[in-house]
Amino acid sequence: MKKNASRNIIALSSTALALPGIALADAPPTQSTISYKMSNYQEDDLSRSEVPFGDLERYDIDVHQFQLVSPISRNMSVHVDANYESLSGASPWFTSRALDGEPIVNLSGASGISDRRSELSVGTRYYLNNGSFAGNVGYSEENDYRAVYFGINGERHYNNDLTTVSAGFSHSSDEIFPTDALLFNRVENEDKRSNSVFVSLSQIINQVSSFQTALSFTEQSGFLSDPYKLRDIRPDDKTQIAWSNSYRRFFVAPNAALHVNYRFYHDDFGINSHTTDLSWHQNLGRNLQLVPQLRYYSQSEADFFTNVDDFLKPVSEYQSSDYRLAAFGAISGSVSLIADMGSWKATLTAERYVANDKYSAFDVALPSTALVKYNRVSFGIDFSF
Amino acid sequence: MRTLRTAFLLAIAGLLLTSCADVRAWERGYLARDEMAWDPDALESSLNDHIFFSKEASSGGNSAAGGGCGCN
Repeated sequence: MKKNASRNIIALSSTALALPGIALADAPPTQSTISYKMSNYQEDDLSRSEVPFGDLERYDIDVHQFQLVSPISRNMSVHVDANYESLSGASPWFTSRALDGEPIVNLSGASGISDRRSELSVGTRYYLNNGSFAGNVGYSEENDYRAVYFGINGERHYNNDLTTVSAGFSHSSDEIFPTDALLFNRVENEDKRSNSVFVSLSQIINQVSSFQTALSFTEQSGFLSDPYKLRDIRPDDKTQIAWSNSYRRFFVAPNAALHVNYRFYHDDFGINSHTTDLSWHQNLGRNLQLVPQLRYYSQSEADFFTNVDDFLKPVSEYQSSDYRLAAFGAISGSVSLIADMGSWKATLTAERYVANDKYSAFDVALPSTALVKYNRVSFGIDFSF
Repeated sequence: MRTLRTAFLLAIAGLLLTSCADVRAWERGYLARDEMAWDPDALESSLNDHIFFSKEASSGGNSAAGGGCGCN
């Protein structure tokens, strides 16, 4: 009986402390949770007007994610993440001009591209009276890419746990070794390093709402070009700044939570972007939840973006026709249905993503070909024990 | 850069101005609900970050970056 009472007190305390990023870190999870999610997303085929010759099919990607979060002592928890991803399809190889003067894209052969990525990350978090600190190490490998990374972060609560300050640092050391390098005159072996820091401030506003603002800086150096494009020459150093803001509000009458997120991003390739997303977490009875989400993203183009590769330019001049460096906008919408049965939770998500230069909030001087549209379906299971 | 810094300072100032309510621990039941977490589904967030990282130029936000991948 006494043991049960203690357990109840621990459970009650943990619930009281389980605040969104605020007091959650004061105690390790009381249960272990193992999670698995499988996803498939398939990019739409390009049109014949964009790709005059060859295959139109783009990437078809399967992703499997595993996660284990478990307490290992009164003050410590362990986190293990494993991902496996496989993809096949074609991606833009180079751009040129059609007879009518419009830019067109030439894809790599669909049958020629297939890749796999495996990733493992292990981390631990140590809990203090008024905060926590954590660290993780990870390894990711593909047929042509390898990354080794680590991160550390910590957070501390102030003001009767109404305010939380967090900060962290991560480093990634990556190696690139493109396939068929000699055959296609690609680089054989290059490397890239990334260092990233962030600081965030979370604040409880009242009994039903909270706010978080965060700033992150990332510095990348090394080989930042795309080795699979016929002509892609980018600077070997990039600084990225992202300022993120999140707001959560619970509405008692409809028994639902509103999430609002906004991010401003800037890098010294010349790209600015805005990202906004809204989601509504509607509880339906005791066990079901429906989550519609809407996201809008728009970016400006990089200083050296071109929509038609210029092979007469000297290789010392930066240029890239990568659509991800173009000015465009993207709208995506998703719906998730979550069934929470206590120790079991299942989540089904369907999403549609459409990028288009017409959606851009920035000037589009050079409309890109090959902007992406895709459908995604995911199914996830969580089991707590 | 100056605009970004000004906006950040304004946000901090706004946050401090709106953070006057003293919410006691026992009044935080709604805030403690799963659906009020900054990140209610860690795998979903991680997947989205990875997909958007491979389709868009922007990345980063409220955490430090993880490992790179050949997708971008």
